[in-house]
Amino acid sequence: MFNRRTLAIIKRELRMKLFSKSFILMTLLVPLFMIMIFSIQYFIQTMSGDQRADLVIVSDSDEILKKVQDEIFQTSDFKSGDLSARIEKVELNLFGNKLDEYKSDLIAQRITGVVFVPTSALQSKEVKYYSSNPNNSSLFYKIKPSINKALVEIYFSGKQLTQDEIKFARKDVEISGFRVSSDEKVAQEGYGNRIAMVLFSFLLYMALLFSGSMTMNAVVEEKSNKIVEVLLSSASSTELMTGKIFGTVIVEIIQMAIWLSPMVLLLTTSWFFIPQEFMPQMSIGYIFYFLFNYALALITYVALYATVGAIFDNPQDAQSGVWPLMLLIMIPFFIALGLESNSQSSFAIIASLLPFASLIVMPARMILVEVPLWQILLSCVINIVVLFGIFKLAGKIYRIGILLTGKKPKWSEVFSWLKMSA
Amino acid sequence: MNVLEVKNLTKRFSGITAVDNASFSVSEGSVFGLIGRNGAGKTTTIRMMLNIYFPDEGEVLFKGAKIEQDFKDSVGYLPEERGLYKKMKVIDMLLFLAELKGKKGNAVLKSVNQYLERFDLADRKNSKVEDLSKGNQQKIQFIGTILHDPDFLIFDEPFSGLDPINTNLLKEIILEMKEKGKVVIFSTHLMEFAEKMCDNIAMIDKGKIILNGKLSEIKGKYASKNVSLNYLGNISFLNNHPMIESIEDFGNTTGIKLKDENSDQELLKLLMANNISIKKYNVDEISLHEIFVLLAGKEAANV
Repeated sequence: MFNRRTLAIIKRELRMKLFSKSFILMTLLVPLFMIMIFSIQYFIQTMSGDQRADLVIVSDSDEILKKVQDEIFQTSDFKSGDLSARIEKVELNLFGNKLDEYKSDLIAQRITGVVFVPTSALQSKEVKYYSSNPNNSSLFYKIKPSINKALVEIYFSGKQLTQDEIKFARKDVEISGFRVSSDEKVAQEGYGNRIAMVLFSFLLYMALLFSGSMTMNAVVEEKSNKIVEVLLSSASSTELMTGKIFGTVIVEIIQMAIWLSPMVLLLTTSWFFIPQEFMPQMSIGYIFYFLFNYALALITYVALYATVGAIFDNPQDAQSGVWPLMLLIMIPFFIALGLESNSQSSFAIIASLLPFASLIVMPARMILVEVPLWQILLSCVINIVVLFGIFKLAGKIYRIGILLTGKKPKWSEVFSWLKMSA
Repeated sequence: MNVLEVKNLTKRFSGITAVDNASFSVSEGSVFGLIGRNGAGKTTTIRMMLNIYFPDEGEVLFKGAKIEQDFKDSVGYLPEERGLYKKMKVIDMLLFLAELKGKKGNAVLKSVNQYLERFDLADRKNSKVEDLSKGNQQKIQFIGTILHDPDFLIFDEPFSGLDPINTNLLKEIILEMKEKGKVVIFSTHLMEFAEKMCDNIAMIDKGKIILNGKLSEIKGKYASKNVSLNYLGNISFLNNHPMIESIEDFGNTTGIKLKDENSDQELLKLLMANNISIKKYNVDEISLHEIFVLLAGKEAANV
């Protein structure tokens, strides 16, 4: 399979691609694009947090109103002026009328919301919030602890508890995540690995889609401009396909290595500073695994894309024939993104071992949790077996398809090619 | 001596038999023509000879053994539908084609420069292929075909789409290769080219070889009792004449088959007596085109 003809084809692919404008442009633009996406997201988040909130706190109890006001006055948001709250006492049966009064102000957003804390909340802890945007979770987190503390304090007052006991009861549970790994280190977990998981999955997804469709178009072009028959008079179709695929794989690995180099420097040097909570916990070995897995994924998908290219003789038909392949990349990508909520569920484990899905899900899972070695090895073995199967299948279809032009073939015809001697 | 033998080749595509039990052989140092109309199975036969298609039945032997990569390396192939990488530089394109055939280094580079010089393209070697005119792209394709100094040249419909200058250039290349003792195989539907250039031919129609052998022998066989006539006037009086076996009108030429080979002078007298203005009167002469129409016509009639 690898001989001087394959090498000549690989060399040509490298020469044409590595020095092309699109390669240089992509190599530079993708990191910029990623930084831009994360910056925009960060910007939107901080912007929404900065929004000023004007609240009206309504209750039928003077005691509740006073305590809640005292607690809110102590918050940093109140002190910085991001939150203002005024209190208003209303009889329970008149609350409906009060709300009507505020309706126009709420709709015009002159006030952000009305919080209704009835006396019954001392038993049920049920509080009502009226706003034109009641789903604003950042505001909800700002006022919830204050109201909780006020209610707890009133509830326990006069029940002969010490201040310390009341303080404990008032305190909310705080959860800090610690990553426990097999090397017996326990490290506090920030957002770093979650960000890295999204970043790596997105890189993988985008690079596979892009290199796949590039290869497909190149094959369609070779077919439509008829160079392929000249090439086949020197090399076999397998050599041609192999050369083309491995040429693309080498170029893409080089590109990915360039993209990941800042990550490697981040992990191994102190040249860059990022806040501890954004710092991913991963080893340099993971980067090598990622590149190895990327190579497997590239060979598998590029072979499939090249095959689709060989079936059709113009880019439009090829585009319409490529959607099953796109799904094979997109579905695992969305599974990988969903891992954030639980990366140890049996669904996650199965998805990280399934052919095709494994290529995208396993590297994502490995960032989030410590995956047992046998699962990693098993997924590699499965992927390699699938790769050989795909290569054989692709070779057969490629051999027949590459010289056929004219009518767009039906899928049933393509399957019948598998039985032909070529 | 036969260097290449095509034995009982058959190839079917979705139930249609493109090549049907085709056999012929090509001898050393000869120019061989595979002749037939469009869709007769010429390209499929050539692709099987180059191992681009695997035959369903039959085999192709090179010096007695099944064709392998060494045969491919010794072939220069010019397909009917030509193509080059448009974005590549001329020089890189040619070096790549030579490298696929296992030739690289200074010798090839020297050879590229010589050919470019000879074909008036020396100043375009660093241009991209797409920046060249169609005629010049065809020249690059010729150079790519012969650059690695192949022992076999296979041209599929070499003259289709060529301008007159490149047609002459290609003829020159074919004759030059013949002089060097190389084997030239070409397929064509243009009988006059085949007639002028081939030593041996195989005629293919509907996938079957209907005629095969030395051109001179074939013509000798079909030419006896045949008169090839160019004339002005009306020769309908010859129909049903006791001297005549058949008359075939081929457009420019009319082929007249006599019942007795010694009656050619009698026919000439008869034509003159009927005031026919004779432009050409060739006895025992028949064109390849006439033979083809005779045979393919008969085949068609038999179906």
